[in-house]
Amino acid sequence: MDTFYHKLHEYLRSGETVAVATITEVRGSVPREVGAKMIIHPLGQHYGTVGGGCGEGDVILAALDVIQTGQPATVRVDLTEDPTMQSLGVCGGIFNVFVERWQGQL
Amino acid sequence: MMPPLLSSLITSLEAHRPVALATITAAPEAALLGRHALVWLDAEPLSELGLGNLEVQVLADAQSALAGRVHKTLTYPTPTGQVKVFVEVQHRPPELIIVGAGHIAVPLAQLGKLCDFTITVLDDRPQYANRQRFPQADNVLATPLRETMRDWVAAGRLDTDSYLVLVTRGHQHDVECLLEVLDTPLAYIGMIGSKRRIRTVFDLLSRGQGIPATKFTRVHAPIGLDIAAHTPAEIAVAIMAEIIAVLRGAADGKQ
Repeated sequence: MDTFYHKLHEYLRSGETVAVATITEVRGSVPREVGAKMIIHPLGQHYGTVGGGCGEGDVILAALDVIQTGQPATVRVDLTEDPTMQSLGVCGGIFNVFVERWQGQL
Repeated sequence: MMPPLLSSLITSLEAHRPVALATITAAPEAALLGRHALVWLDAEPLSELGLGNLEVQVLADAQSALAGRVHKTLTYPTPTGQVKVFVEVQHRPPELIIVGAGHIAVPLAQLGKLCDFTITVLDDRPQYANRQRFPQADNVLATPLRETMRDWVAAGRLDTDSYLVLVTRGHQHDVECLLEVLDTPLAYIGMIGSKRRIRTVFDLLSRGQGIPATKFTRVHAPIGLDIAAHTPAEIAVAIMAEIIAVLRGAADGKQ
């Protein structure tokens, strides 16, 4: 089988410490659904996506902190800016991403 | 998370046993954040939540979410602040069963795999139903069509996670298979054929064999969303789009 958790298991088995990001709540139009998940790897070997773009960039930054500190965090991604030329995320919605550290010898 | 919990989760996934992972995503005490529990429909939960008096309620609510098959954020007010628990429901990946391993089956198996379906391809012709032709399929079976359908129905193999596509080499085979599966709880039944041909066949069956016409209303035929598809690949896209519409609850996928 080839699920998200099998992938996570692989990272941990090879001794990596990673962060897992999960979309837990959404409001309005957002790029991905509740339950979408991503593994953030300290050296950039990420897996999966929580929607891409700048929102995901914020999640990755937060996840690098979480990997350091071990303290889980919730990242709120706001894509409700006016759709002007300057704005980057304009799906129209807001979503919360829970980020936690995973490690351990299996 | 504790590695034993992860191992347990993976064991359940591999056994296709419904399981949910509950995670504390908000709590007045930072130490509670990120704690987990696993819940099943038919077993005691495995919990490291440490939520005290709230624990029993949370685990019961997580189990309800699992039964309802939707991810859910549970929210509880407590005297010291709000507790939120995200329940991530793991159910079996949907299965796309393609009956008939001809021209449409090849791109359809690829598309289905891309969309995370488990892929089963069935044909009674081994020169079509083989690994070389369907390298990405999970199961490729060269067995008689109608008998296989009958066996699967008897074994309860066709359930609400199964999406059945009838694209055999001849309409009579499609219809034979269809008649076997009409009373199963399949999530989706689609059958290829022109509008006129389908109407004629359904008329014949309801008048000739006394099958109530209402039984055919759940059959997606002609199969696929109407995007004026021409080539086998385009038709496969139309079929997959219709299946996604059903999977994601966009009306019933019918236009």
